[in-house]
Amino acid sequence: MLFNSYIFIFGFLPPVLAVFYVLGARSREAALSWLIAASLLFYAWWRPLNILLIAPSILINYGIACYLKRIGHSNPARAQVVLIGGVVFNLCFLGYFKYIAFGEQALNDLFDAGLPLTQVILPLGISFITFQKIAFLVDVHAGRIERFTFREYALFVLFFPQIIAGPIVHYREMMPQFKVAPCRFDAEDVSVGICLFFFGLAKKLILADPLGRVIGPLYDNAASGVPQSLADAWIAALGFTLQIYFDFSGYCDMALGIARLFGIKLPVNFNSPLKARSVIDFWARWHITLTRFLTAYIYMPMTLYLMRRRAANGQPARRARDAKVATFLGLLAVPTILTMLVSGLWHGAGYTFILWGLLHGLLLCVNHAWRLIRPRIWPDTASYNRLAAPAAFMLTFLSVLFSMVLFRSPTVAGAAMLWKGMIGVYGAAMPRTILSHLGPVGGLLVQLGVQPAWTSGTMFVGAAARIGVLLFIALALPNTLELLALYQPALGVRPAGAPGRLLGFVAWKPTGTWAFSLACVALAGILSLGELHEFLYWRF
Amino acid sequence: MTEQTTLATLTLILRDLLGDNNIDLTLRTARDDVPGWDSFTYVNFIVAVEAEFRVKFRIADVESFSDAGAIVAAIAAGRSR
Repeated sequence: MLFNSYIFIFGFLPPVLAVFYVLGARSREAALSWLIAASLLFYAWWRPLNILLIAPSILINYGIACYLKRIGHSNPARAQVVLIGGVVFNLCFLGYFKYIAFGEQALNDLFDAGLPLTQVILPLGISFITFQKIAFLVDVHAGRIERFTFREYALFVLFFPQIIAGPIVHYREMMPQFKVAPCRFDAEDVSVGICLFFFGLAKKLILADPLGRVIGPLYDNAASGVPQSLADAWIAALGFTLQIYFDFSGYCDMALGIARLFGIKLPVNFNSPLKARSVIDFWARWHITLTRFLTAYIYMPMTLYLMRRRAANGQPARRARDAKVATFLGLLAVPTILTMLVSGLWHGAGYTFILWGLLHGLLLCVNHAWRLIRPRIWPDTASYNRLAAPAAFMLTFLSVLFSMVLFRSPTVAGAAMLWKGMIGVYGAAMPRTILSHLGPVGGLLVQLGVQPAWTSGTMFVGAAARIGVLLFIALALPNTLELLALYQPALGVRPAGAPGRLLGFVAWKPTGTWAFSLACVALAGILSLGELHEFLYWRF
Repeated sequence: MTEQTTLATLTLILRDLLGDNNIDLTLRTARDDVPGWDSFTYVNFIVAVEAEFRVKFRIADVESFSDAGAIVAAIAAGRSR
């Protein structure tokens, strides 16, 4: 069931919420059991087989967790083996469903193996659910989860606002909330929840989806070998970057909002990533809970092991900024690139995703290297932060933009063709009608080499205007978390101090003006319902 | 060793790693509060702290230290073992 569908907004959420409040007035246990039942219905709605596919894995993980809990203190060695076994089981489960066909394809490509491709039904949200279960097993093994019942575990795994596309949550940040949740109507929770939900719906339907219709043909043409002119290539790159930005931002807002209606705060997952001034900063703002997972369970153990080994060999851990190239490569570049390779593969089984992950790994390495070198070249940090900020922002923005082409393109060759188009290899072209409307300026552009094209001028102007407006919203306006900061819209958002002048003016408050504005946003969103477009991150 | 002495040592280690003498850690300081205290510097910091205080943290703890206070407490627990 999609969040952006009539059935969810009018047929599922209101009755589920009403029964939750009614049951919660009598018994929290009953309300939470109802929430589990509703989550199962939500998950099974699209394809009931999903439940049958994912249920054995959920039950096996519960069994492993119970066993870990029982032997954890008495037999640490066996607990370690059981944990590793549990993690391997989850990775194999994910690997079979998500990567078996790609693995066969890769073998065919590399060795001309002629393997038939296995057709597998991919359980919805399998990548998110798998990572969440691995985190749960690690937490149980580390002794961070004192007690858990099957119902609590099921609620943690199945909670429908985040089951399909995150945020990837930890048991330790969710269960304490469920244990004290009032499970009753709360005016503040419902107001904040509705506000987040409709902001998200509007972002998805009004801002993101129309861009998808514009850029789709450009990527398909490039993948078919049709060269793209300078303007079209930039529209493709900017258009997709903004589409996935507002699509994922919208999804995250809606997930936060729906959870809040049940009195639960999910962790921050998206925090204006296009405002980042470094690639490191970008990953601290984009899909934050995935970054948190990969950092905690892949990058950190690997780096910690390598650094401890180095320290044991008598090389001091301090002064990493004075490290030589070999040390930098061994301690930083290898773990970073491997982690981002996993990130790429997690996003999708395909060559483009692998290269996208590797590209971000390389960008992160360059960023880290600059952080180590910069103090020698430009020692005054304050003046550096002040003067280099615009260049840092532009460089980060362009890096993200170029990498997004790879993320969206159906093939690596298509992405390469668009990159070439972006640097002008295939020349510049503009719709003939626009050039003729520009008068002498149009003539000058033609003299400079801009080719008149038989493409639609209206579509060109529409796409350019939409991209301009969305860039302004993404880069200049406060985000949803900032607007609602006074009401702690998510875990990890600190209560706002004195807001700036603009934010003080526009910050959400329970006033008539805001109620009217939100009603307009909600109406615009609901009127845009119709053609169903799933969230881009639901594919992962 | 008091909490404040441990905290002062942690501050010195982090200043050295980041090359920034303006850093002042408190028990409530989290990684997000210190510019440049990214994952790499954090692991580097943890290994330096382990060497300084002759303790060894569990990987699971390293991942979950929420602020400097949690690290100070883990050092005290590690030294008393």
